[in-house]
Amino acid sequence: MAAGVVTVNRDTKPGIYPVLVGMGITLKNMMKTMFGRAAATVQFPEEKRPTSGRYRGIHILTQRLDGTPKCVACYMCATACPAECIYIEAGERPEATIEKYPTRFEIDLLRCVYCGFCVDACPEEAIFMSRENDLVGTSRAEMIIDRDRLMERAKLVEYGPGYRPTDHDVRRPVRIAALERLKQEHGIVPGPPAR
Amino acid sequence: MGGSANARGGCFEMSTPPKMTKITIDGKELDVPAGTTVIQAGLMAGIEIPHFCWHPDLPVDGNCRMCLVEIEKMPKLQIACNMMVTDGMVVRTTSEKAVQAHRTTLEFLLVNHPIDCPVCDQAGECYLQDQYMEHGLHDSKVQPEEKVRKRKVVDLGPIMLDAERCVLCSRCIRFEANVTGTNSFEFVNRGDHTQIATFENRPIMHNYAGNLADVCPVGALLSHDFRFKMRVWFLEATDSVCPGCSTGCNIFIDHRDGEAQRLRPRRNVEVNKSWMCDVGRTEYKRIALETRVTVARGRRSNPLTLPSPPGGRGGPNDWENTSGPTALDVLAERLEEAGAASAFVATPQATNEDLFAFRALAEKVGGMLDFRVGDPQDRVRVREDNVLLRADRNPNTQGCLDQGLGRAGVKEILAACAAGRIQTLVLQGPELLRLPQAGEALAKVPFIAVMATHEEPALERAHLVLPAAMWAEVDGTFTNYQRRVQRIRRAFAAPDSAVPRWQLAAGALKRLGAAFPAATARDVFALLTRSVPDYAGLDFRALGSGGRALPERPDQVATQEARA
Repeated sequence: MAAGVVTVNRDTKPGIYPVLVGMGITLKNMMKTMFGRAAATVQFPEEKRPTSGRYRGIHILTQRLDGTPKCVACYMCATACPAECIYIEAGERPEATIEKYPTRFEIDLLRCVYCGFCVDACPEEAIFMSRENDLVGTSRAEMIIDRDRLMERAKLVEYGPGYRPTDHDVRRPVRIAALERLKQEHGIVPGPPAR
Repeated sequence: MGGSANARGGCFEMSTPPKMTKITIDGKELDVPAGTTVIQAGLMAGIEIPHFCWHPDLPVDGNCRMCLVEIEKMPKLQIACNMMVTDGMVVRTTSEKAVQAHRTTLEFLLVNHPIDCPVCDQAGECYLQDQYMEHGLHDSKVQPEEKVRKRKVVDLGPIMLDAERCVLCSRCIRFEANVTGTNSFEFVNRGDHTQIATFENRPIMHNYAGNLADVCPVGALLSHDFRFKMRVWFLEATDSVCPGCSTGCNIFIDHRDGEAQRLRPRRNVEVNKSWMCDVGRTEYKRIALETRVTVARGRRSNPLTLPSPPGGRGGPNDWENTSGPTALDVLAERLEEAGAASAFVATPQATNEDLFAFRALAEKVGGMLDFRVGDPQDRVRVREDNVLLRADRNPNTQGCLDQGLGRAGVKEILAACAAGRIQTLVLQGPELLRLPQAGEALAKVPFIAVMATHEEPALERAHLVLPAAMWAEVDGTFTNYQRRVQRIRRAFAAPDSAVPRWQLAAGALKRLGAAFPAATARDVFALLTRSVPDYAGLDFRALGSGGRALPERPDQVATQEARA
C-alpha cells in the first residue's frame, strides 16, 4: 500500500451515538466558556496574553545614563541580520572616549523576521527585544522605525523586556568553532600558550 | 578576489634572470631566485607567513617578530622577512616551535591593544584580527583597565591617528622615509609608552597620505575620508585602473549597491607598486550620481535636433528628453547630411574601445577628427611630483596617440567651424564646450552632439546630449604613459540609459549602414587589435590584471621627451 494513505473501516454503521458524543463535548466547552470563565479568547487590546521572558518582539535600543544611545554603530547587527532590515549611518561623537555612534538607526519591522540575531551579535548590549508585539500602521513607511522610537523606554515598562543577551552566552558558539578549527588544522590545544 | 595575491606581494620581478636556489618550505620544494627572503619565497609557494612590519614595497625592518620560522640546522627561530634563502634550506612555518612563537608574539603585541574593534574602521581588513583568529585565540591576561593609555582620535588632516591601536611596526615611518621622503612620522617615548607621532601633531601635507592608512596593518592610521562610512566587509572589490592621470595606477574600486565607496591601490610592480596618490583616491567622488546625465535630450528650438512633436515646438524649457535610439537616429541623419562637412573631437578620458568606435564613425562619415583639446599629449610623460602623479590628467592620452586620432588639429576644426564649413560637430566629451575661446566658433555650427556624463553649464552650447557611462561602469582598456595597455572593469551599472561611449558610436555607425560587429568591449578590442598594428595579438584575457606593455615607438619617445 502506498504510504500516507489512511484506511477507514466502513463496517461500523453510522448511528446517532457518535454525533451526540461530539455535540456533548461542544456543549461542555460552551458551558465552561459562558459560566466557568475559562474562555480561550483574550479581550485584546484591553487584555493581553502573557508572553515568555524571552519573547522576541519589537527591538529596543538601550541608552547610557545621559540618554544617548549605547550603540556604537559597529554594524554587527546589520551584518548578522538575515532579512537585511537594519540600516545604520555612523557619525562622530564629540567626546573622544566613545568616538562613534549611530546618527541613523532604522529597522524595517515589516522586513524583520524577529530572529534575534541582532541581539546575539551586539557587542555592547545596545539592542535587545521587547515583548511588544502589536504592530499596527497604515503605511509601509510607518513600519520603518527610527533611532528615537527604538530608544523609547516607556514601551519597555509597558510590555517588559524580551530576548536579551543575558539569556545565554551568545559569544561561545563562534569561539568554540574557531578553537576546534585551530585544533584540527594545527593541532593546537586551546588555552594560554605553554611557557 | 582576483588581485589579492598580487596586492599582498605575490610577484617579484627581477630585471635579469638570476641564479636559482632550491629550498623546501613546509614540505614544498621550490626554486627561487637567489637573494629572495624566506617570506617572499613562502608567498611564491602560496604560504603566507604571518607578519606585521614586512611590506613587499618597503625596506625590511624585522621589528614585529611575528614571522618567526624554524629553519633546519639553525639553533633558534629566524625571522622570515630578513632571512635570505640558501641552497638546500629547509623551512617549517607550522612546526610546534614556530606556531608557539606566533602565538606568544601575538599575545605580546595584543597586551596593550585596546578592544576597539566595534568602532575601528580597520576591522575586517585588520592583520591583528585575522591573525588572532588564525594563530591566537588566547584569553587575555591583561584587564582592559590595566592597559597603557595613549592618544586617540588625533586628526592629522587626511589621516586619523590612534596611537593605542599601533603595533609599532614602523611601516608608516619607512613609507615616509623611502617613498615620499617627507619623514613625518617618528617613534616617541620609550618602552611600552612608545608611540608614533608627527612633530607637534602637524597634519600630513603630501599627496600620498592615503597610503599611510593602507600600509598600517592595524587601525592606528585610518583614512579621514572613509572614516565611519562603511564596514569593509560590505564592500565588493573590482579591479580597475585609476582615471586620474596618465600614470594609470592599478586600483580596486570598493563599491556597494552600485556606488563606489573608496579607491584602493592594487599592487603592480611595473606601474605603481602598492601606492596611489590622494588626487586619484578622490576620483570616485566624480562618479557622483546626483549630477549625472541619465537620459538623452535635444533642443526644441533647433529644428535639426528632434523629430517634431505633434503639439509643435516651444515651451518654457528648451530641452526635451528623448530616448537613446531616437537621439541616435537624429545624429545619424545629421551626419549623413553633413558628410565631409562634419567634425569629430574625441576625448582622452575615453577607453581605447570608445576611441576605436569613434574613429570608425569619423572615417565612415569622412569628417575631421582630433582629440587634442588643451594639448594633453604634451604633458603625457611630464611628472607632477617624484612619485606617481603626472601632469596629464587624462588616463588615455597615449591610447589616442596610438590610434592616430591627432589628425586635423582642434584649432583647424574650430577654424572650420568659425568659417561655417562644419554642419555637424560630434564631441566624445564636453572638453571643447568648456573652452571659453571656442564659444564664437561653436555658435556657428548648426548642430552639436555631445556624449556627456555629468550635467554642467557647458552643455548649454550643445544641441543633442547623449548620456555616457563613466569609467567605473564600463569594461575597456586604457594605455598609460609607458604604453602599457591595462584593463578597467565594470564595477556597477551606469545610471538609467547611460551607455558606454563606444556603444553610442556603434549605434550611429549601424544607422549609417556600416558594419561594426561587436557586442561587448572585448569584441571592440579584438577589432582594434586588427586595425592598429601596435596592438596586434593582444587580447582582453591575456592582458590579465597587470596589463601588457607595448614596445616603445622610438620617434614618439624622442618628440615627447623634447617637449617635456
